[in-house]
Amino acid sequence: MTAVETSEGTDSGAETATENAIVVEGLTKEFDGLVAVDDVSFSVRRGEIFGFLGPNGAGKTTTIKAMLGLLHPDAGIVTINGADVFEDGKAAKDDLGVLPERMSFYDNLTPVQTLRFFAQLKDVEIDPRELLEEVGLDHAAERKVGTFSKGMTQLLGVAQAMIGAPSVYVFDEPMSGLDPRWTRRVREKIRALNAKGATVFLSSHNLAEVQVLCDRVSIIDGGELIATDTVSALSEDALVKPRLELVVPGLEGEVPAVLDDLEGVDSATVEGDVLTVTSNPERRATIVAALVEAGVEILDVQARQPSLEDVFVELVEESEEAGAR
Amino acid sequence: MNVDGRTVLAVARKEFADHVRNRWILALALIFVVLTVVASLLAGGEAGGDSLLGGLEGTVTSLISISSILIPLIAIMLGYATISGEAESGALALVLAYPVNRTEILLGKLGGLASVLVVATVFGFGIGGIIVTVVAGGENVTAFLTFIGLAILLGLLYLSLAVFFSTITHRRSTSIAAGVLIFFWSMLYGTLIFGIYLATGGTLQDMLAGEPLPDWFWGSVVLSPMDMHQSAVMQAFGIEQAFGFDITPPDYMTVEYLVAVQLVWVIVPLLLAFWAFRRRDI
Repeated sequence: MTAVETSEGTDSGAETATENAIVVEGLTKEFDGLVAVDDVSFSVRRGEIFGFLGPNGAGKTTTIKAMLGLLHPDAGIVTINGADVFEDGKAAKDDLGVLPERMSFYDNLTPVQTLRFFAQLKDVEIDPRELLEEVGLDHAAERKVGTFSKGMTQLLGVAQAMIGAPSVYVFDEPMSGLDPRWTRRVREKIRALNAKGATVFLSSHNLAEVQVLCDRVSIIDGGELIATDTVSALSEDALVKPRLELVVPGLEGEVPAVLDDLEGVDSATVEGDVLTVTSNPERRATIVAALVEAGVEILDVQARQPSLEDVFVELVEESEEAGAR
Repeated sequence: MNVDGRTVLAVARKEFADHVRNRWILALALIFVVLTVVASLLAGGEAGGDSLLGGLEGTVTSLISISSILIPLIAIMLGYATISGEAESGALALVLAYPVNRTEILLGKLGGLASVLVVATVFGFGIGGIIVTVVAGGENVTAFLTFIGLAILLGLLYLSLAVFFSTITHRRSTSIAAGVLIFFWSMLYGTLIFGIYLATGGTLQDMLAGEPLPDWFWGSVVLSPMDMHQSAVMQAFGIEQAFGFDITPPDYMTVEYLVAVQLVWVIVPLLLAFWAFRRRDI
C-alpha cells in the first residue's frame, strides 16, 4: 500500500463507495511531533463486522476520532458511505451511528429526553420508548441519566447510535469496563444489527471479543497498521501452529529428552505440569507414542487451536522486532 | 458553511432547559431581585426621607458597585467550561459524531447560555425595579431600563470572553484559571492604570481636588469592561459623582460610545471562539 499524502488519489472513490462503507487512506496524525497514527489505510466492506484491534495507546482512538472528523489529520482521507468526512461531514455522518469510547450524556436529562435531543440533531422522528425497549432500558425511561450504572449508560449509548436506523455503525471499545452480563447484551445487539444488514466497525483490545464477532480484523500497533485480513488467514500468515498440551506430573521444568531429537517437533516448553508441544497436527500421534514409549506418564492430552491472541502477540512481536532493527 | 437553524435551536433549547432544570435561572433571578431591594434600602437609609426604599437613581448607584462584579462572575461561571468541559467528559465527541457542524453547535450553546443570562437579568432586575418604583416612585424609569440593558451587555461580554477561553483550554482546571484571569482583569487594569498615573507625575491630591485627568487615562477605559459598564450606567442616570468625588468624563464618552466599544468586546472574542473551535481537535 502506498502512502497517500494529499486528498488526490481517490479517483476510485465513487466506485468503492457502493461496496465499501468506510474507507481510510493514508491517515497520519502527529501530536507535538509524536506520530500517533502513521499512514493507516483500510476499507470496511458493506455488511461486514470489522474489528480494529490493538494494544492500548496503539493509535486506535486517534484513528477513530479522525474517522469521525473530531481530529484534523496531518494527511489522509476518510470517506463514510462515499462522502468525505472532512469536506462534507454532514453527508458522511448522516447514515452513521456512533458509540464513543467514553460515553457521556447530560446527567440532568432522562433517557427519553436524551434520545429526543439526539434525534433532533439527526433530524429524524423517533419513538424513544421503542428504542429503549430494544436495548432493554424501558424500565429506566424516566430516571435521570446521571444515576445510571456504566452498563446502562453503555446500553443508552447503543440506543442513541440506533437513532434513524443507520446502515453503518462505529463502536469504539463497546464492551470495555462492562461486566459479563452487559457484555453479552451489547454483543447480541451488535450481531442483531449486522443481521439486519448494517455494517459494523468495532474497536477493541479484547481479542476474544473480536474473534467471536468479526469477519475481518485490522491490527494496529505503534501507530502503524500491521495486518488486515480474516482471523484464519492471519493465523496462517503469522505461522502460528496449533499446539498440543499434555498434563505430565513431575517434570520439574525439564522437557523429556525423547522430544529433543524427534522429527516434526517445532518447540516444546514446560510450565508446571503442562508440557506444550508445537508441531504439525499429523505428527501428534507419533509424539504421544514416543513419550509413552519413553515411560512418561501422561494424565491428559488437549489440542489447542491458535487464537486471535496468539496471532496478535506474534504479529505485534514481529512488528516490534522489525521496528527495533 | 451552511448552518441548519433546527440544529442550533435544538442545542440552544437543551442548554437553556438544563439551566431551568437545575434551577440556576431561578437562583440568579432571585439574587438580582434581592440585590436591587437591598441596594434600594441602603439608598433609602442614606437619603433619610420618609420612604424606606430609595429611588431608582440611588438604588442603581449602590447597586452597580456589586452588580458590576456579580454579573461578570455569573457569566464566567455559565460559560467557562462550555467547550472544554464537554470535550473532557466526552459529551462533545458524541454530539459531533452526528450530522452537525461545529458552527451550529457553538451558536446553539451561545444562544442557550445568553438566554439564561437575559431571562435572569430581565426578571431579576425587572421585578426589583417594579418593587422600588411602587414603593419609592417612578422617577428615572427610562434610565433604569437602560441599566438593565447595560447589565445584559456586560453579561454577554463576559460570556463571550469565557466561551472563547473554553474553546482554547483543554481541561476544566485550565478553564477555571482562565476564568479567574478574565474576572480579575478589570481590577488589575485599575491598579495598573492608577500606577501609571502616579508614575507619570499625577498625585492623589490632584485627583481628589478634581484636577482634570489626562486624556490617555480616559482613553484607556476601553480596556476595562467593568469600568465601561459603570461609566455608561452613571451617564444614563446623569450621575457625575461617585464616592463623593466629582468625575467628569470627556464629552466623547457617551453611553452610545461605551456601548459600541463593549459590542466590539462581545464580537471579537466570539469570532475568535468560532475560529478556534473549528480548528480544535476533540
